[in-house]
Amino acid sequence: MKKFLISSFLMMNIFTLYSQTKGIVLDAYNIPINEVNIFFSDQNILIYSNEDGEFVTEIDIPNNSYINFYKYGYSSKIFKYKSGADLKIILDELHINLDEIGVAESFNMLGNSKLTSIDKKSLDDDFSSSSTMIENIAQLAGVDAISSGTGIQKLVVRGLSGMRVVTYLNGMKIENQQWANDHGLGFTDLGLYEVELIKGSSALKYGGEAVGGVIYFKDNPFVISKVISGYISTKFNNSNFLSGNQIGLKWSKNNFFINFHAQYSLASDYRLPNSTYLFNSRYRNRAIKFSIANRKNNMQNIFRYQYNGDEVGIPAHTHENLENVNIDDITNSNIDFSQDYKVTRPTQFIDNHLLVYENNYFLNKSKLSFHLGHFINNLKEYEKWTIPAFDMVLSNTQIRANTRTNLDYFTINIGAQAGIMKNENNTIERLIPDANTNDLGFYTTLDYERKKFGLSAGFRLDYKKIDSEEQNYDKLFSALSSSAGVYFKQQSHLLRLTYSGAFRAPHFAELFADGIHHGTNRYELGDTDLELEKGYQLDLKYQWSNDHFGLVINPFTHNIFDFISINPTDSLYDNNYKIFDYTQFNKVNLSGFEMNFHFHPHSIHSLHFEQSYSFIKTKNYDNNKVLALTPSNKIKTGVKFELEEYNLGIKFKAVSLYHLYSFAQEKVVENETVTDAYNVLNIALSFKLFKQLNTVLGINNLLNEEYVPHLSRVKVVGGGIPNPGRSFTINLKYEL
Amino acid sequence: MKKTNLLTVATLCLAFAFTSCSKSDSVECHECHIAFDGANGEIEVEIGEFCGAALEDVEAPGYSHTIELTVVDGDTVPAGTYSEIHCEEHADH
Repeated sequence: MKKFLISSFLMMNIFTLYSQTKGIVLDAYNIPINEVNIFFSDQNILIYSNEDGEFVTEIDIPNNSYINFYKYGYSSKIFKYKSGADLKIILDELHINLDEIGVAESFNMLGNSKLTSIDKKSLDDDFSSSSTMIENIAQLAGVDAISSGTGIQKLVVRGLSGMRVVTYLNGMKIENQQWANDHGLGFTDLGLYEVELIKGSSALKYGGEAVGGVIYFKDNPFVISKVISGYISTKFNNSNFLSGNQIGLKWSKNNFFINFHAQYSLASDYRLPNSTYLFNSRYRNRAIKFSIANRKNNMQNIFRYQYNGDEVGIPAHTHENLENVNIDDITNSNIDFSQDYKVTRPTQFIDNHLLVYENNYFLNKSKLSFHLGHFINNLKEYEKWTIPAFDMVLSNTQIRANTRTNLDYFTINIGAQAGIMKNENNTIERLIPDANTNDLGFYTTLDYERKKFGLSAGFRLDYKKIDSEEQNYDKLFSALSSSAGVYFKQQSHLLRLTYSGAFRAPHFAELFADGIHHGTNRYELGDTDLELEKGYQLDLKYQWSNDHFGLVINPFTHNIFDFISINPTDSLYDNNYKIFDYTQFNKVNLSGFEMNFHFHPHSIHSLHFEQSYSFIKTKNYDNNKVLALTPSNKIKTGVKFELEEYNLGIKFKAVSLYHLYSFAQEKVVENETVTDAYNVLNIALSFKLFKQLNTVLGINNLLNEEYVPHLSRVKVVGGGIPNPGRSFTINLKYEL
Repeated sequence: MKKTNLLTVATLCLAFAFTSCSKSDSVECHECHIAFDGANGEIEVEIGEFCGAALEDVEAPGYSHTIELTVVDGDTVPAGTYSEIHCEEHADH
C-alpha cells in the first residue's frame, strides 16, 4: 500500500511536469522578447512571456489548439500546438503595425483572416481613450457611425447598418430592436478585449442574415494569476461633463478562472461648437459582468453573465416640422448641474441581460463546441412622464453546436444554430406587435492552406419562421447562403478574392410597424408582403508591406436584390408626424474601395503614420438614384510619436493625432439634404504619472469645427445639429 | 493586502453607485401645457403643475383641458377644450 501511494505520488508529479507547457519567444537575432501576449485562443487564456522570453503554464493544452503570439512592434504568429513539439517562437521586429486591417497573422473568431476580409481593433484600453468605443471602431476604413451625440451611437459598415449588420457578443447574437437608428449598441466597452469585423456577408458560421457584415465583440481572456489582478479606471470629458468609472478584477486558481467588471457612467448634455448645450443629450449607464471558466482534462466550461442598463435622453425632440425647428429652442446656453444630469423626457430606458454558456471539448484533431445564450432586451421609450410610448421585451435564445476538424492542410467546420425570439409589448399603444421568430441554420466551411496558396468555401442553409397572432401572419422563409475565397501569397505580396452571397428575412419591425416612433419623430408603417433580401458581394484585397511601408487596396462591389428600405411618404399622421413606409427595391448596388497606407520612416523610428481612404457609391436601379444615407467618402489619418525611448522626466508613452476628413456628400435622394465637407482633429498624450497609473490627456475636435455628419440622426432638425465642439478629456487607469 | 483593500473599496463604491441613484419615493410633479398649432409654430399654454395621480390623468389618452381665450407672447389661442397636452420639459436656460 505504501509503495502504491509513493508511486501514485510520483506519477502525479510526473503528470504535473508532463502537463506543463513551456516555451520561449525570441526575435530574429535570438534575443528574448518579454511581455509577449501568448493567447491560448481555444482555451481563452492569456499569459505573458517573462524577461527571458520564457513562458510556462500548467494548463494541459490539447493537440491542435491554436496559440497566438503577439506584441506591438513585432509580427504576430499563430502556432498549432502539437504535444512534445519545441515551442520556440521567433517574432520578427516590425516598424509598421497592420494588425487592424487583416495583414497580420492572428486568431479570429470569425475565421481565417487570409481567406476572409476580417478587420479587427483592440478594445483592451478603449475606456482609457479620449473617444467613445463606436468612434474608435469607426476609425477603421469603411466603417461609419450613426449618432446623436455620444449617448446613442451605432456602427455602419460600407453604408449598411441595423439588421444587415449582425452584432455578436461572446458568441451571442445581440437582438435589441436594432431596426431603428436611435437604438444603440446595447453594451459598452466594459471588459471587452477586441472586436472583429467582416464587411459583407462572408461569415457563414455567424452570418445568417448578415447581408452587410458581422461585428464580433470578445471579452477579455482569462489570466493565470493566483493573486487578484485588475484595474480601476476613471474618465472625464468636459463636453458633456461625463464621469465614467470602471473596475475589473481577474483571478484564477488551478483550473478555475474568474473575470469581473463593473461600470457606472453619467453624462450631461453635450456642448456644441457655439458653446450651447443640446438639451436632453444626457445619459447614464450601469453595467456589470462576470465570466467563470473551469477546465478539466479536455473539457472547458465557461459561463458569462452581463447586465447593461442605459437611460438615454432623446435630444432634438419636437412636435413641429423638424426642418422648421429653431436650434435655440432645443439648446441651453449653460449647464445647470442640479438639473441637467437628471432624466427628463423623452428618454429610453434600456435593460439588457445576457447569459452565455460555452462548452468546448478537445479531441486529437477536433474541437467540439456548444454554445447556449439567452439575451433579454427591455426597451421603454417615454415621451410622457407616466405612460411609456412603448415598452417591449425582446428575448432571444440561441443554441449552436460546431465541430472544427484539423487535417493536414484542411480545417473543416460543421455546425448548426437554432434560435427562438419573442417580442412582447407591455403597453396597449404599440409600434410593433407581439411576434415570434424561430430560426434554424446549418452550415459547413472548408479552409485549405498550403504554402503560398489558400482557398475556402462554405454554405449555410437557414429556415426562419415568423408569426404574429395580432397580425394574423405566419410565414416560413428559407435561404441558402454561400461564400468562397482564394488567396495567393508571393513574398510580401498577398492577393485575395472573396465571393459571398447572403439572404435576410424581413424583421417583424419591417413587416408590422404601425405607429408613432418618438425616437425618430415619425410614423412608421410596415409591409407584410416583404420578401427575402438577397446580397451578393465580390471583395478583392491586395496587400504588400516591407519594414517601413505597408499598403492595402480593397475594392468591392455588392449587389442587393429586394432591398428593404424605409422611405418618407407625402402623408402626415395627426398633422404632425411624417409617415415613413417600408418598401422593397428590386436591385441596389454598393461599390467602392478602401485603401490603407502605413508609413514608418527609417530615420525617425518613433514615428508611425497611418492613413485610410474609404470611398463608396450607391445606386438604386429602380429609380437610377443613390441610396438614402450613403456615407460620405473619408480620409482617416493617424500619426503616433512614441516617447518611451526619450528621457523626459515623467514617463511619457506617446503623443497621437487623429484627423478625419469627410468629403461633402452631395449625392442624396429626395427629401435628404446634402452635407458639407469637414475636418475633425483629435490629439492625445499618454504617460504614466507613476508606475501603475496610466494617464491619457486628450482634446477632441481641436479646431472646434462645426460639422454635422451625413449619418447624424439629428441632421434633419433645424438644418442640422452639430456634433460636439472642442472638448478636453482626462483618463486615468490604475493597474493592480 | 493593500491591493485587496483598494479593490474592495472600489467595488463598494461601484456598488454604491448602482444603488444610490434609485428612484425617489417622493411624488413626481411637472408643469404641463396645451400644445396649440399656431400659424408660426407651436404655442404653449401653461395649465399648471400636476403631481402623482393627477399627472397620470393629464397624460392619459382622452384627457382634455378647457381654457379661456389666452394670449401667449402676442399669439392668441382661442377658448376651447384641448386634448394635446404635454408635460415634458424643454430647453429653458
